[in-house]
Amino acid sequence: MGEDTAGAPTSSFNASKDRKGDEKMTVVVPPTKGSRLSGDKGQDQEGDVAMEGAEGDETQKPEPEVDPRAKAIQDIKTNFTLLERAVAHFDPRFTLRVLRSISSMRKHITSDVLAEVLVESYPPSSPTASFLLEAIGETGAFESAVASSKMDVESEKTRSNSKEILPEIDTYLSILVQIFLYDNKEIQRGAKFSTSLIERLRTINRRTLDSLAARVYFYYSLFFEQITPLPPSPAATVTMIRQPLLAALRTAVLRKDVDTQATVMTLLLRNYLSTSHISQADLLISHNRFPQSASNNQIARYLYYLGRIRAIQLQYTDAHGHLIGATRKSPSSHSARGFYQSSHKLLVVVELLMGDIPDRAIFRQPALERAMHPYFLLVQAVSVGDLDGFLSIVNTHSTTFRKDGTYTLILRLRQNVIKTGIRMMSLSYSRISLRDICLRLGLDSEESAEYIVAKAIRDGVIEATLDHERGFMKSKEVGDIYATREPGEAFHERIRACLSLHDESVKAMRFPMNQHRLELKSAQEARERERELAKEIQDGDMDDEDAGADFDAI
Amino acid sequence: MANGADLRTLVSELHNALNRKQFDAANDLLSRAKRTLLLQNALIPTSSTSPELIALAREVLELGALSSIRQTDAPSFTRYYQQLQPFYDLERDSANAGKVDFKTSQRSKITGLYLLLLLSMGDSTSFHTVLEGLVEEASLKGKSIEDDPCIKYPVELERNLMEGSYDKVWRETKSERVPSEDFGLFSNVLVGTIRSEIADCSEKAYPSLPISNAKNLLFLESEGAVIEFAQQRGWVLRDGRIYFPVEPEAAARSEKDILVASTAIIENAIGYARELETIV
Repeated sequence: MGEDTAGAPTSSFNASKDRKGDEKMTVVVPPTKGSRLSGDKGQDQEGDVAMEGAEGDETQKPEPEVDPRAKAIQDIKTNFTLLERAVAHFDPRFTLRVLRSISSMRKHITSDVLAEVLVESYPPSSPTASFLLEAIGETGAFESAVASSKMDVESEKTRSNSKEILPEIDTYLSILVQIFLYDNKEIQRGAKFSTSLIERLRTINRRTLDSLAARVYFYYSLFFEQITPLPPSPAATVTMIRQPLLAALRTAVLRKDVDTQATVMTLLLRNYLSTSHISQADLLISHNRFPQSASNNQIARYLYYLGRIRAIQLQYTDAHGHLIGATRKSPSSHSARGFYQSSHKLLVVVELLMGDIPDRAIFRQPALERAMHPYFLLVQAVSVGDLDGFLSIVNTHSTTFRKDGTYTLILRLRQNVIKTGIRMMSLSYSRISLRDICLRLGLDSEESAEYIVAKAIRDGVIEATLDHERGFMKSKEVGDIYATREPGEAFHERIRACLSLHDESVKAMRFPMNQHRLELKSAQEARERERELAKEIQDGDMDDEDAGADFDAI
Repeated sequence: MANGADLRTLVSELHNALNRKQFDAANDLLSRAKRTLLLQNALIPTSSTSPELIALAREVLELGALSSIRQTDAPSFTRYYQQLQPFYDLERDSANAGKVDFKTSQRSKITGLYLLLLLSMGDSTSFHTVLEGLVEEASLKGKSIEDDPCIKYPVELERNLMEGSYDKVWRETKSERVPSEDFGLFSNVLVGTIRSEIADCSEKAYPSLPISNAKNLLFLESEGAVIEFAQQRGWVLRDGRIYFPVEPEAAARSEKDILVASTAIIENAIGYARELETIV
């Protein structure tokens, strides 16, 4: 999982999901079977259908497990039932749970494990199985398995042969293969495998496959990012996958496949930005609508890229809004730290560009403190309007800024430093000569200073007038802000945010299916009881006390 | 390759025509050259295009771009710039360095001109979008974009414009720091831009201004020009001073403001009430 925490926004998300899985793993560590099962059962109970939870357990019972290898195999197989259930009930939550569990078993995936699972669940003639086996370099697995442990395998095989193997399971195993190849740095093979995998996926049109397919695309792009020539160069390998990704996007939109659509869009944006093809990325955004119902992580990523593009295009207000969204939606857990940091870095720079000073508290967060240090110095310089200090910070930390991709944005800050300086002077002096302004800001000439101040007045940075003949700036009285509409607008803004939060949380509520029938039933019963009660009261053979108790129960 | 020779003669004729400023002839030659390129499928470089042909095609397009700049035909220049991009992408790719001859490439000049064009049109969004790519590329090679005089010029101009140091812009456009005569073509546009910027700023910043000072501020030749300029913008001239029009009556405005504000507040309050209703 080392790669995931490396800091690139895309990869860190994946890790964020892992976190949960890892915690589960540590709880699970005691090797007794019971504890693990209870963990898994706990998961099952979440998914409200208790009966099938029991079925899941059944498959785990047969052999007592000791080593992680057997456990991994078991886990994979448990996930098969989950996937089958997802297809049967048409409920994507089961699929998502399967995807979440990937991270916890990631460490234990070896070619052995994969081969064994494949041999046990597929008939030897299956083309999918041989395709997957070839990818992990275990082509002979069927023969050897048959030869060595015929007895063992037999029972399993008859079981799985009886029903058809779902494409969901194929895809799930393919994802495992992708991860295996990625973890073993088999980038070239992984890329080749992913390419043919995507070919296969495109022919299948199943809604239950969506979230799995999205994951496949994610790893597909990850593989290509690692192949030399690496991204910043315009001939990077990533440019090769734009065509397939765009095709995938088109298909996903036509099929209303939200998961793939969201994933592929963020991948494309990442792809374009990595070779700084900003106008293409902008076009992509303007011609596409990002699905509202995409998963939280995809939205956060999308917002981050959007914020980045808008910042480059000087639309700071837009960029600020998007980046705020991205930082808030970003998981603040330890494994998604890379994304959290880089979105915060960008946010800080954009806030500075807008003329705001970011909150000091941002820099005190333990997750950000060290990474944000250069930015902290930058904020300090801008907030006091110290032009020399600003320039020296930019020079000393230029490599960091370049690495973060914020360098050009930071260069634009120079004028903000000047503006802040002018504002400070306008606040503290009622009248100041242009010469002093020039000296204090370290400008080249009084002439420049005059133009700059005039521009600041025009842009509404300060309230002042200039006197050209006598060469000074005279500040106007600062008006009372509470006499303007500003507070009302701010209030309105906040109320609106609260209301939309409420709306969203109402929308996000989930209601178990058929639950209302139960309620109806109990309501009916209650009514009947009431009627009886009323009758009894009418008949007059009941105490008030009893009736009161009964009503309480209702 | 007969066509290659054809092209070469066309290119040298183009050079001549451009040097002698015969733009009609140049346009004619350009369309002929482009047709030849199209016939050989070389208007967009592919992996199968031969290196010499790529170099020739690039040269034709570059000359086309220069010729349209000299005829102050911005849309056509933009078109040439876009067409040149695939060629320049090849150039950026170090793997191709050995194959195609890049020494004759005028990439930085064309890009610089394009930046300047965007700047003079006030399209800062595109300006920064292009610049971002250049910075990235330069930092990849461990250089800064300021190393290239053709790129440095528009970048500095933009920085000064944004900052408000109009006098520096003025000096830059006048001095010998303009990298080549093609860049000079934009000077007039830029001076016009800064003049109207300064006029905007002065309206807000000064209550009144002597005409003689205004002449210096606006970089105008004579006081007569100042008067003309002032009349254009509707400024009042009295006793040798320029009086800038005051904003419409503040009192009347604030009254209107209150009206607008109160309706907005009422609307908002009703909105809150409705929302609360639905929640409760």
